[in-house]
Amino acid sequence: MRKLAADVVVIGGGSTGAGVVRDVAMRGYSAVLVDRADLGQGTTGRFHGLLHSGGRYVVSDPLSATECAEENAIVTRIQSAAVETTGGYFVTCPGDDEGFADKFLAGAAATGVWAREVPVAEALRNEPRLNPGISRAIEVRDGTVDGWQLVWGAANSARQYGAQILTYHRVTNIETSGGAVTAVRCLDERHGEEVVIDTNFVLNCGGPWAGQIAAMAGAHPVEVVPGRGIMIAMNHRLVNRVVNRCIYPADGDILVPAHTVSIIGTTDVKVDDPDRLAIEPNEVQQMLDAGEVLVPGFRQSRALHAWAGARPLIKDDRVSASDTRHMSRGMAVIDHTTRDGLDGMLTIGGGKLTTYRLMAEHIVDAMCDKLGEKRECRTATEEIPGSESGHTHKVTDRLAEREEDRFDSQIICECELMNRKMLIDAMDAQPEASFDDLRRQLRLGMGPCQGGFCSTRATGIAHAHGRVDAEQATALMRLFLKNRWIGLWPILYGEQVRQTALDNWIFATLDVAHLPQPEGEVIA
Amino acid sequence: MSRAVVIGAGLAGLVAANRLVDAGLDVTLLHKGLGGLQLGQGSIDVFGYAPERVLNPIKAVSQVATSHPYAAAGSAAVLDGLAYLKQELPTLLVGDPEANYQLPTAVGSIRPTCLAQPSMIAGHVRDGAHLVIVGIRQLKDFHPQLVAENLARTVLPDGGRLTARHVWVDLPARDGEVDSFGVGYARAFDTEAFRIAFATALSPQLKDDEVVGLPAVLGLADVKAWRDLAGKLGHQVFEIPLPPPSVPGMRLNEALTARARSAGVRIVPGVRTTTFSTVAGRVASVTTAAGRTYSGDAFVLATGGFESGALELDSHQVVRETLFGLPLTGVGDGPLVHGDYWGAEQPLFRVGVSVDAAMRPIDPWGAPAYPNLWAAGGILAGASGWKELSGDGIAVASAVAAAAAITKELS
Repeated sequence: MRKLAADVVVIGGGSTGAGVVRDVAMRGYSAVLVDRADLGQGTTGRFHGLLHSGGRYVVSDPLSATECAEENAIVTRIQSAAVETTGGYFVTCPGDDEGFADKFLAGAAATGVWAREVPVAEALRNEPRLNPGISRAIEVRDGTVDGWQLVWGAANSARQYGAQILTYHRVTNIETSGGAVTAVRCLDERHGEEVVIDTNFVLNCGGPWAGQIAAMAGAHPVEVVPGRGIMIAMNHRLVNRVVNRCIYPADGDILVPAHTVSIIGTTDVKVDDPDRLAIEPNEVQQMLDAGEVLVPGFRQSRALHAWAGARPLIKDDRVSASDTRHMSRGMAVIDHTTRDGLDGMLTIGGGKLTTYRLMAEHIVDAMCDKLGEKRECRTATEEIPGSESGHTHKVTDRLAEREEDRFDSQIICECELMNRKMLIDAMDAQPEASFDDLRRQLRLGMGPCQGGFCSTRATGIAHAHGRVDAEQATALMRLFLKNRWIGLWPILYGEQVRQTALDNWIFATLDVAHLPQPEGEVIA
Repeated sequence: MSRAVVIGAGLAGLVAANRLVDAGLDVTLLHKGLGGLQLGQGSIDVFGYAPERVLNPIKAVSQVATSHPYAAAGSAAVLDGLAYLKQELPTLLVGDPEANYQLPTAVGSIRPTCLAQPSMIAGHVRDGAHLVIVGIRQLKDFHPQLVAENLARTVLPDGGRLTARHVWVDLPARDGEVDSFGVGYARAFDTEAFRIAFATALSPQLKDDEVVGLPAVLGLADVKAWRDLAGKLGHQVFEIPLPPPSVPGMRLNEALTARARSAGVRIVPGVRTTTFSTVAGRVASVTTAAGRTYSGDAFVLATGGFESGALELDSHQVVRETLFGLPLTGVGDGPLVHGDYWGAEQPLFRVGVSVDAAMRPIDPWGAPAYPNLWAAGGILAGASGWKELSGDGIAVASAVAAAAAITKELS
């Protein structure tokens, strides 16, 4: 058993938890963040990558719109490396209410969200794949953000302020004594070791899993209502700007260019278990139909991968009115002192990625209030490591980098232009990473071949680099291919079937299926 | 002279074209791309897993279900086709239909295959063998340490064990190049100077009695380059196939294409056949995307499967044979794919055309779709070639059987 101690334990390594641990650490508290898996492995890594301008909410939720506009500017400044300033359009498609655009413009003016109607011809010139039947187009300052880089950036910043980030540490119990939190007990999944962290404050940032975590402290049941949304990544950039339908927010009304792909999303279906998120055929068809409205011929484009995320919605009748004073829009803070008579724990639910920093500020303010301390939040002004230059990323960045180093390092993933040095550096930084952990950092296997070429290369390199023996290497590869398939088979049609067939022939040449089987699966 | 049009230049199309021209027909071979041989391992698989590891492939062929392409083509066509390949490509293919080679792969598994290139067979795993696996720093698709460690931890199909270690050679295919594909190295190995340089770098690292495993890049134009290297090293060597582009596959492709051309087959590369016409229920001609029409008395559909675009699954989950719109077997029986990657075979990849005893695609009632249309290779329903390691054997046998039926029909 390992013993640690910290002022604050943050549970959950999504955007909320990462933002919170950074804020806590910057305010001078000693902090430990624990997550049962990798950072950004849950909801944060399973969204469409939209950094809201606020436009989406100017009519439906004006306060959210203003928050998004302000936070978009802040995140773009402090985490520029994770952001691409694509810009965006809200477009009125055939059959949509043309009058909504007027409400939109009025709402934008009222909420401080930058917006400007542009001639349809201009929009079509800039985005030639857009439906030529659009009748109005409004330009906004939407961007895209890489959720994993955002989370890792915040976590690295927290580390610089002394925080510890413990991934693959599953919380098994929250210990209390005399009506107050005393320790968090975890299992280090990779080493099978128990870890006890003495603490007087827990910030439960478990998102859709927050209810399960709160229950460990003996709190009354927190009702979490995970809302499942699916997203589909289409090969290439069908659009270079975020394209939203100019309607009241609905399903499948956003197409987001992120890195080398365009992501269509999303649906919203209530589910019971955030660990069991199906990608239903009817929802896939719904997304393809929605894509067809924005970009005619969408169905003939190549779908690469699909995933489902769980929105972290909390529905809790016990939340008293006084608890909402620190809330951002769409966010819920549960004070377990007033609710359960338990000191030293706050549970946070809801929220959205664009406003993750503001949410963290509010939560940590609430904690400081409870502790009777006044410590200023500085997260909005200080850049995160790696973003000091202020340069936002572009889809062509990796191409430029590979042009520079093409005589120095081999390209291991041609689809995503990842070279050997990037892979080795990431393996050194995370010696125990699974290939999916590395994928989240590097986009390994996220391009058209979906691992057909790069998975065995990564296996060979991991083995030769001395990280793993041949049996572990085989286990890593088997797990990676299995996980890639989870997001492939629900959208398998067209050119991706062809790719899958080619990949199958490649794996037959290598006969990967008949490598001696590992004893058990690796942790990931 | 009767005219045959073969569509597709993978193993099935090339064998069909060669057999038809041998039988005295006027043969036109239309093909869109490079053909599947260059995507494969460059040996001839007949039956590798059924689903357990197969030692005697022709025996496994004789035991297939009636829905399997081998049942339509028959064991005799398999044997005929294998004998034909060995006879026509004596420097490139050797082996015994009754005994699979068990050859190391580029990740270190042991892969059964029936006919192999002479440059590969020293790798056939044997109890007590001492292997040294040689990586080249600049070649990213070959992992000598992984190969060696996996081989060393594997119980061989005959129950034995071998020892394996790995070494590296640091020698660019071209000066300053750090990221070379196999073809680049194959062209380098075609030259005596590179072989000398390579042998000079490798020799000091070898121990007596070691058999030397190398990536399958030992020459492309010069099919004896590997023997020369073995002589220079004073060791037995064997090639281990890499992911595409496959140098051994290119050798087979070159040899079969050259043979077809010299035998008089008219080869039309780079054409996509998109439409066809019929007269009195028979296929009269096919037309390319560029508008050229090729008429004939017999047509062989050797266009492959999903990997080549011969079969397509659209976004509404409808499968289509893309040239003739032929009836398909294996659709309409439930989901085509499932989520268990390492589990049961995906039904989608068994979809294809069913054929009669003469290898003609049939409709659901068993009648030929067209009396003068034959099918061979990956387009056939009822097998996943990569799962069984049977794709080459099916291609060869169905091509031989189709060519025989056409010859009989037209004579």
